[in-house]
Amino acid sequence: MIGRLLIIMVLMLIVTVPAMAQGNYDRNSPEFRENTSQFMCLCGCGQDHFECNMEGCGLNEQFKTEILEMMNEDGYDKNDIKEHYVSMYGEVILTAPEKSGFSLTAWVTPFVLLAGAGGGIIYLIRKWVRKSKQLMKPDPTDELEDETEREILHSLIDEERKKHF
Amino acid sequence: MHMIGNVSIYLALLLSIYAFIAFVLGIKKQDQRLIDSGKGATMGIFILASISMTLMFYLLGSSQLQFQYVYQYSSTDLPIIYKLAALWAGNAGSLLLWTFFLAMYSAMVAFSKKMKRNPMTPYIVSILMLNVIFFYLILSFVTQPFTLMDGIPPEGRGLNPMLQDPGMIFHPVTLYLGYVGLAVPFAFAIASLIVKNMDAFWIQMTRRWTIIAWGFLTLGNVIGGYWAYMELGWGGYWAWDPVENASFMPWLTVTAYLHSVMIQERKNMLKIWNLSLIILSYSLTLFGTFLVRSGVLTSVHAFGETNLGAYFLVFMAFMVLLSMYVLMSRYHLIKQDTGQFESFVSKESSFLVNNLIILGATFAVFWGTVFPLVSEAVTGTKVTVGVPFFNTVMSPILLALLFIMAICPLIAWQRSSLKNIRDNFLIPAIISLVIAGVVVAMGIRDAYPVIAFAIISFMVLTHLVEFIRGTKARRKVTKEAYPVALVRLMVRSRRRYGGYIVHLGIALIAFGIVGSNFDIERMETLRIGESMEIDRYTLTYEALDQRSDGVNDVVYASLLLEQDGENLGYIQPERMFYLNWEEPSTEVAVRSTLREDLYVVLSAWEEDQRATFQVKVNPLVKWIWIGSYVLIIGAIFAIWGGRYGQVSPRYAGPERKVH
Repeated sequence: MIGRLLIIMVLMLIVTVPAMAQGNYDRNSPEFRENTSQFMCLCGCGQDHFECNMEGCGLNEQFKTEILEMMNEDGYDKNDIKEHYVSMYGEVILTAPEKSGFSLTAWVTPFVLLAGAGGGIIYLIRKWVRKSKQLMKPDPTDELEDETEREILHSLIDEERKKHF
Repeated sequence: MHMIGNVSIYLALLLSIYAFIAFVLGIKKQDQRLIDSGKGATMGIFILASISMTLMFYLLGSSQLQFQYVYQYSSTDLPIIYKLAALWAGNAGSLLLWTFFLAMYSAMVAFSKKMKRNPMTPYIVSILMLNVIFFYLILSFVTQPFTLMDGIPPEGRGLNPMLQDPGMIFHPVTLYLGYVGLAVPFAFAIASLIVKNMDAFWIQMTRRWTIIAWGFLTLGNVIGGYWAYMELGWGGYWAWDPVENASFMPWLTVTAYLHSVMIQERKNMLKIWNLSLIILSYSLTLFGTFLVRSGVLTSVHAFGETNLGAYFLVFMAFMVLLSMYVLMSRYHLIKQDTGQFESFVSKESSFLVNNLIILGATFAVFWGTVFPLVSEAVTGTKVTVGVPFFNTVMSPILLALLFIMAICPLIAWQRSSLKNIRDNFLIPAIISLVIAGVVVAMGIRDAYPVIAFAIISFMVLTHLVEFIRGTKARRKVTKEAYPVALVRLMVRSRRRYGGYIVHLGIALIAFGIVGSNFDIERMETLRIGESMEIDRYTLTYEALDQRSDGVNDVVYASLLLEQDGENLGYIQPERMFYLNWEEPSTEVAVRSTLREDLYVVLSAWEEDQRATFQVKVNPLVKWIWIGSYVLIIGAIFAIWGGRYGQVSPRYAGPERKVH
């Protein structure tokens, strides 16, 4: 009995989920903004479909109306709407490349390079520091002084020296 | 007129070729007469470029429509200021402006008092002449500014309404001054390699040039952002458009250069790195021009598809190869760094990390800009790389940069001890964490803004600590009053404290940028008398009227503005309709305060006077402009002359008979 009740409840939930998703969205809903701004307007304005306000843009109004219909009548979520337009126009309609396939390289390459260069710089500084330590022994009294003040004073003296000589 | 214009261009081309040959022969034969003749020709080019510019201004100002350029970018009804600004609206005119600046800078270097009797001068000017020759070749044979029409048209095509904005007067000029300005340190760098002068003379000599060029680049970008914000009606100031990126990349590399040269000056290290950075910055200015003029990437700023881009690409390749050849041929002389790094935790290291992050940011911008081409070439798939990509990739990089900017000033040269770090950073770090807590308590839960506000606070505080400690240190020696000690400290170390003012400006800009991401937007269609609410504001639509502005018509709506019940007066967004242009333009109504901007656009209206308004509340945007002022003030402070201003470096390189 309890099992049957649970099954009925689960079935009801499955049936009602899409109906619940079909909300009463309008153009001021944050969800509308989120869904619309993932697409690039192809009218040449250089903006996404939420922002495009180009006079005479033949695409933008139709896009906004369609997206609102998909949200309110078809219960589409962000991914459904994305898939719909990508299947129609291709990846170029998205404001940013996909995070899969070759397009993933767009996202990761800068960080891979930064990490590589970061490693290179750490290696370089280590090399220089080691070389420098071999050349001279540290003065233990240095650490007792306030280095910032010492540095500022040195730079002041340096500046003055430059002016007078 | 037509003859004078063309003669001024062709003659300048001939003179620039002559000047280059005279300098090369003068250097080879060590003949001062040839060098002087080359210098004379350089001045002649500047005079001819001035004539071309004056003539073009006259033609535009007096609407000489028989000239193709005037016909294409102007009309008789344009206000005089935009008639004149139309000079840089098209390819030919803007390249003429570029050439004029180049000729002006070349003459300034050739006749510089500081470079008098300096053997590097002929080399520097001849490198600049290579640039001048290229630009005059383009003006003579590819895009001619003084071409005549077959007949005299009754009216010109007018200037794109989006360009009829004060931004048009300043944005291109400042940007070009920045772009062209970078040719000077580049020429100095290559000249110093050629004459085998491997010390920091070229860096010290061009420090002012570079900061001025950097300042103009900054100004150009900021004015462009403000222009976009006020004119385009989408409420944004930066869209990561390929052309915007093209001007941002050299700005980044010059910023890296301005920091890394300090290591060369102080420690005689990173010579190759600094040379590479200036070559890269200069090349990026050409790359930017290639992007704007080639139409290879879609951009709202582009000049349209022309074959000009190809010429710039070829010239850029030539200059880069030439630079690399000179650099490699002198590699054995510059590879020996004499300086030492004593510790990981030192100012030197932090400058290196700063350079790493800035170059990383430059690469990220470059990669994002060219990725559509890469993707199409590799997979055949067209992709768009827009705002979400750049915001996602650049946010962590720029936050890391802000963090490095925060800690760099308080880390000592040579090495920093734990005590030093604790003394300098403990209090700013605690206060920053408290600020982060306050931000969270205010309801902001996203990680990025919380981290960003904490880092910005940390950065401002560490800089304040630096000012306080500097003043204290000075007082210890001089016993002056605090304000006197602070002012004298700053004035006597302009470079250092000017740099810190620039950092504070960056902090304010970052504060504005992070805040502006919390924008709210509503779009409503209202009948007369109806109201809409957004955030704390109530806007009541009271009237829709029309007026004339010269030959143009303006439709404007009047909205009564209230904030928390308090009457703030009226706000009037407009749409302007032009006699000589099909598309109307948006004139946004903005009420700007330190807390936020209320940004109202009149989107559409019906015959029954119902009107649709797009209203935005953009928090903290004003801080972006305030930060930009601070930044420019810092740059000016750093380069200002006077008794404690700049010290002319002494040339200690190889001597020649000619100078």
